[in-house]
Order: sequence, then structure tokens, then C-alpha cells
Amino acid sequence: MSTEEVKPKGPGAAVAEGRVLVIGGGVAGIQASLDLADAGAQVYLVEKSPSIGGWMAFLDKTFPTNDCSICILAPKMADCFGHPNINVLTSSKVIGVKGEAGKFTVTILRKSRFIDEEKCTGCLECVEKCPTKVPNEFEFGLGIRKAIYIPFMQAVPRVVSIDREHCIKLTKDKCGVCEKTCKRGAVDYEMKDQEAEIKVQAIIVAIGFEPWDPTTSREYGYGRYPNVYTAIEFERIINASGPTGGHIQRRSDGQRPRKIAYIQCVGSRNPAVGHPYCCSVCCMHSTKEAMLAREHHDDMESTIFYKDMRTFGKGFNEYMERAKRDYGVRYVNSDATVEENKDNHNPIVVYDVAGKSEREEFDMVVLANTLIPRASSQELAQVLGIPLTEFSFFKSKDRILHPTDTSRDGIFLAGYCAGPADIPECVAQGSAAASRAMDIITHHSAKGAHAAKETHATKEASA
Amino acid sequence: MAADEAKQKLDGLIKKTGAFDCVECGKCTSLCPITKEDPNFAPRLIVVKALEGMAEQVAGARDIWVCLTCARCSAKCPYKVNYTEFIRGMRETARKGGVAPACSEGGLMNSLAGLMTKPDLGQNRLGWLEEGMKVAEKGQYLLFTGCTPYLNVIFGEKDDRVLEGTKAAVRILNKLGITPVVSADERCCGHDQYWAGDRETFEKLARLNIEWIKSTGAKTVLATCPECFRALTKDYQKVDPDFDIEVLHISEFLCDQLEDGKLKLTKEVPETVTYHDGCRLARHIGVVDEPRMLLEKVPGLKMAEMESAGDESACCGVSALMNCDNTSKSIQLRRLKEAKATGASRMLAFCPKCRIHFKCARTGNLPFPKEEVDIDVVDFLTVLDRAI
Repeated sequence: MSTEEVKPKGPGAAVAEGRVLVIGGGVAGIQASLDLADAGAQVYLVEKSPSIGGWMAFLDKTFPTNDCSICILAPKMADCFGHPNINVLTSSKVIGVKGEAGKFTVTILRKSRFIDEEKCTGCLECVEKCPTKVPNEFEFGLGIRKAIYIPFMQAVPRVVSIDREHCIKLTKDKCGVCEKTCKRGAVDYEMKDQEAEIKVQAIIVAIGFEPWDPTTSREYGYGRYPNVYTAIEFERIINASGPTGGHIQRRSDGQRPRKIAYIQCVGSRNPAVGHPYCCSVCCMHSTKEAMLAREHHDDMESTIFYKDMRTFGKGFNEYMERAKRDYGVRYVNSDATVEENKDNHNPIVVYDVAGKSEREEFDMVVLANTLIPRASSQELAQVLGIPLTEFSFFKSKDRILHPTDTSRDGIFLAGYCAGPADIPECVAQGSAAASRAMDIITHHSAKGAHAAKETHATKEASA
Repeated sequence: MAADEAKQKLDGLIKKTGAFDCVECGKCTSLCPITKEDPNFAPRLIVVKALEGMAEQVAGARDIWVCLTCARCSAKCPYKVNYTEFIRGMRETARKGGVAPACSEGGLMNSLAGLMTKPDLGQNRLGWLEEGMKVAEKGQYLLFTGCTPYLNVIFGEKDDRVLEGTKAAVRILNKLGITPVVSADERCCGHDQYWAGDRETFEKLARLNIEWIKSTGAKTVLATCPECFRALTKDYQKVDPDFDIEVLHISEFLCDQLEDGKLKLTKEVPETVTYHDGCRLARHIGVVDEPRMLLEKVPGLKMAEMESAGDESACCGVSALMNCDNTSKSIQLRRLKEAKATGASRMLAFCPKCRIHFKCARTGNLPFPKEEVDIDVVDFLTVLDRAI
């Protein structure tokens, strides 16, 4: 017996000493962190952007209840950040993992925000004074932000960051206005990136997805025709806290559209562009967006062009039926391509109904572009020593019976990074991964747990 | 042909071309250049009927002869259904059932191809060679001239410069110090027969050409016509799997020569041109960048892209000289308008047939002012020839 072996203690004591790393601060990572922390374990939640929240913070409403997305997420974000057992490390990334289940040593790179997180109160006076305007990535360039910024109004932690690529103090040694403005002396242009080492017993990977850029599928006209939008862009412009204050406006002329077309499966169920899988959410989110558009304006006409409607979840089909019945949403069974009326920048949708080609002019087109694994998946998979699927999702040990386990003991998966899933499923997986991590904590090593089970099985077999 | 046989052939085709994977999304229809002019033509419907086992309806319908096999649909099909091959296979089946297409120009080119299947045929097809052009019967490089000498006779009225590209090719190769093989023993490449479902004639032509090419001792075959190029690179191998002589499109070859410093483009060509990618060259094979790289190196030349270019290029409206009708005309005029809108003085193309079709479309009565489509269509190589 090695000296590292746990001394006999009750499970409660083991939990209190338990430490888990959660990578990714989206809704799955937040859920996993809260579950573990509530049970008494210590959690390090590492998030690469300056705020936790993930994609759910971008959305206007969530299906199938049409709840305000940020309204149900923000309390969870706040709970997570304020939890005594959770250490939220934003602007950070995992760059090294050594050891095994029960005793991982993890190296974390903490990118400098050039702001003392303890001192900043989020008063945003510096943001007001900052002279440098940058296209806002949170609004996909539809709005602007400053070089010192918080990513969105409900950001957690409510601490500003300086964008090192655009800040003229950092790039050209000019300005320095934010330092002068800050009454608490939180700005530090000399702040360096730091590496930190932590010891954990289990790791949960929940890094989510990124939307696929449909520019290369030129037949949809995205990037060429101003009034063709991606779904996530549309979520922002229909959102009251978005760049247009919730007014649905066209890029070309600022006018409100009356006829909107939604095109499904853009880049998904498409082996030709490398994504044969169904993104599993666009049937529902396009239906939702069509409903919301109608809620904004009574005269809004929405048409959804689809390959198949896959409204498979609980209450999902009823949701679609409600869209048809109560919101007048029209569903057309055809993929479609987009042309443009050069005179008024109206997109023209070309499609096929029962073998007859149709052309129809719309005011706006919203593409349900697919969601793909993050570009950083490859790198992280190498750091963690776990395999990816052929499409670069993280690979489960067993898709059916061990969906949240990976081939490496002590490393678990949650959310979209393990394969297409909607919000409720991501939350469920977050909880599932937390429970699997708890198993490691209480046995202190998966090996121990495995051995215990094996002994049990052997006993049964010999009995 | 018995219904059973048609059904069997259809099942084989569905497997071979991946049509079974079709999810009936209709993207093919939304991209089809024919559909744009004739809304009742729907590629999706043809596949759906085939999948439903309606073999005879599919094989007997006019639709399979209307398709341009331009591969606009295949290139974008999410499930990678090889639609062009599906149509071609259906045509073979239909022909066996006694259904044949109506060829334009009274089927003259087609009859000529038939004549060329005679092994001991003596052709007089080198009359276009000008004084000073150096060609040989044997050598390392073979220039596949294609049907331009015949097209020149038949379509001379519509396009009196059909041969200019072939001549330019010889001149350019001579300037590079190459004496290409150009011979009266060359036959029609058989492309049109292959795509019209006449497998028998195609195979005869392919065998004769392969035999001839081998007899010249050529190491590299250079093709200028995109249709010949497609046949030589993709279809001859189906007739003779051992046919492994290197086949390059002349633009690929000249790009290599440019990189090696052998081809020097030094003379100014001060004008703006646009370039029409043939469907065989750009989509069937994927030669898109080479022609553009060459144009870029011509001093003083400006290249203006059309609205649809590269592998999304619009079609010339006719394939295998089978289907020339109002739909073709509309497609051609639409393309000419695109070319004219670039502000270019000329539209370049490699394919002699594309050029003939465009020039023909311009000559009829137009439903709009002639100026909208008034752009010269010339062979690509003539520009390079002027620049050396």
C-alpha cells in the first residue's frame, strides 16, 4: 500500500477534499460545477472568454417554452460565480494535464485582462471614455464595442477586459485614458499572462461548439447578399439587448422585413461539406425564431424550407403545430438556394415543390447554419489524451451506456462538444458528468472503484 | 428492352451513383440552369421516380435528354449523388429501349463521329496547318486537336474562328521549342456519344484513339477542348484500364512551363477580358485556377470575373450537341449578359462548342437591345499567343 492511499474516512470527508476541473463555462459546464459544488466538492471552472454563459447567453428565447434565455441563465451564472466552492477562472485555458484519475496535475494559462479583477467594480466608466471602437464579436460585427469592454451586459464576472489586439495603449503606447479614468486603480497595462498549476481528481470537458461559417456554400449567398443572415445573428437582432435593440432590421437599408425565409440544414446533413450529422436543434430554433418574429409584428410572414422536420423532443412536435396554427408559419419541404434582386437587395429563394421549381422573393433570409466542434478541440484532445470522433466531437467511451465517459478514466464529457444536443440535454449531461466525477472523488481513483466492483463481481461469480 | 432489364439497370445505377442516398431535399432543382428557364424540369423528381422504381417512365421521358449534365447539381448535392452519371446511365438504358435524342444540326457531327469508327478511314483534317507551323507524326507531346477542323466546316457560318485556338496551341508549343504530334489519324474523342448514351460508338472511337496515341510514342497528351480532356482523363480508362499515358489540359501544362521559366509572357495585351469556365473543365475535372493564373501573368491584361464563375460557372446551354432549343438560347443570353456586365471587351473560353453556341445566340432576334450581349467570344489561347 502506498502512502497516498486514502485513509479510511466516510464519503462526506472524501467529497470535501474532492477537486474537479470543469473546462468550459457554458450551460453544461455551469450545471456540472453547481452540482459538484452543492454536494461539497471544490470546482475550478475554466472559461476561455472573459465571461461565463456560453452560447445560451446569445439567444433571445429558448425552445420549447419560449423562456427568455438570459433570464433563466443569468441566475445560474451568478450562483456559479458566487458559490464558495467554485473558483471561476475566465480568460483562461488548459494547456497541460499530467497524472491519472484521482490525481491529475493541470496547468492553466491565465491570459491577462490587464485589469485587477479584485478591484474592478464593473462601473464601466472606462468603457465610456475609451476612444477605440471595435466590431463586437458578441454581435457578430452587427454592433460595436470598445477596446476595453465587458462582452455583454449580464457578463459574469462583471469585470472589464482590455482587448490586446485593438487597445492603442498596448499596441502603440498611446492613450492610457482608462487608467486615468479608473478611480480604483484596477487598470494595469503591465499585467502578464500567468500559468497556474492545480491538482484535481477528475476533469469535465464541456467546451461546446461553434457555428459553421456558411460563406463557402456560395449557393446561399451569405456574405454576398446583405439580407442573408445566420440564425445566431438573427437571435441577436431580435433580442431586446441586441445591437438593434430588438428591432428586426435589414442590413441593406435598415427597413423592417415582412417576409422572412428560414433555410434549414445549412451545412448539416451534408456529407459533401463534411457534416453528415443532424445539428439536432435547427428545426426547433427556426420554428422559434419564426414565432418570435410574428410576436414582434402581426404582419410578419415566415416560411421554413426544410429537408425533414425533426422535432423529436418532448413537446417539440406540438411546438411546431402551434407555430403553424397560431403563428401562421409556412413549412415547405425543400432545400433552397438564394439569389438576389439587385434593385432592392431582396433575397430570392429558389426551391422545388413536388417537382416544380419555384422562385419567391423575401425581405430577409435566415440560414440555420450547422454547429460544429470548436477548432480548439484537436488541441485540447491532445492535451487531455482523449480521442475525437471522425467529425472532431469528443468521443464517448460508449455512446449508449457510458455517454459522458471518455476512454481515459477520470475525464468526462458534457454538452455539445460530445455531439449534437439541445439545451435541456446539455444541462442533463452536465449533471450526469458531475455525478460521474463524484464517483471518482468518493473512490478517490477510478482504479480503486473499478477494482472494488471487480472484487464484488468475482465474489458473486464464485458464490 | 424488357421492363425487367430496365429495372435491373436502374437498380444498378442507383447504387453506383449514390442516388439511394438522396434525401429529396431539392437542392438540385434549385440550382439547375434548365429549371431556371423551364420550371417544369426538376432533377429531384427524376431521382424520386427512379427511387420509386418507375424505370420505364424515367427512361422513356424527355427529361433525361434535356439535362445538360453540367454537374451544377452534383457539385452541390449534400449527399454527393453523382447526378450526371445517373442521367448518362439512364440514357444508355433508354437507347437500348429504342429511344434516341434529337441531335441538333441534323445529327451531322454525330454521323461524322460514326464515320470515324471505321478503322481504315483516311481523313483530310490537317488543311488548317499554316506555313511555318511545326508538327510531327511521332514525338513526346501529342496535341489532341479535337473536332475543330470539322466544326470549322459545319459551323463556319456562325463562327469563322473555330480553329483559332487550335492554331494558337501549335504556335505556342512551337515557341516553347516543342514539335507536337498532330495527325490525320486522330478520331473524334467520342465525348458526345458517351454522354448521349451511345456506348458502342464511344468505345470504338476510344479504342482507335488509344491505339493511335500509343503508336505515336507520346509521353504526354495535351488537350485544349474541355470535352476531349474529360473523355481522355476520365472515360478512356473505362474502355482500356491500361491507358495510363499522362493527359494534361493545355492550361495545366502551360502553368508548369510558366513556373519552370520556359514560358515567358512578355508582350502587353492591354485589354479587359472575362473567362467562361466550361462545365467539363471546371466542374467535371476541377481545372479552375490554372487559366486564371496564366491570365494574371499576361502584362497589361485585366481579368474581370462574371457573377457566376469558377466551379459555379453558368453553362453554355447545350451539351453533346443534343438539345438546342429556346431554353438553350435563354441560358446563353443570360450568360452573355453576365459577361457584358463585367465591362470586358472579350469573353475567353477553351471549349469551341461553348464559343459557337454563344456566337449563335447573339445572331438571332433578341427580346432586348443587342448591346446587352454584344461581347466578342474568343479562344483562350489566342490571348496567350499574343503575349509571348
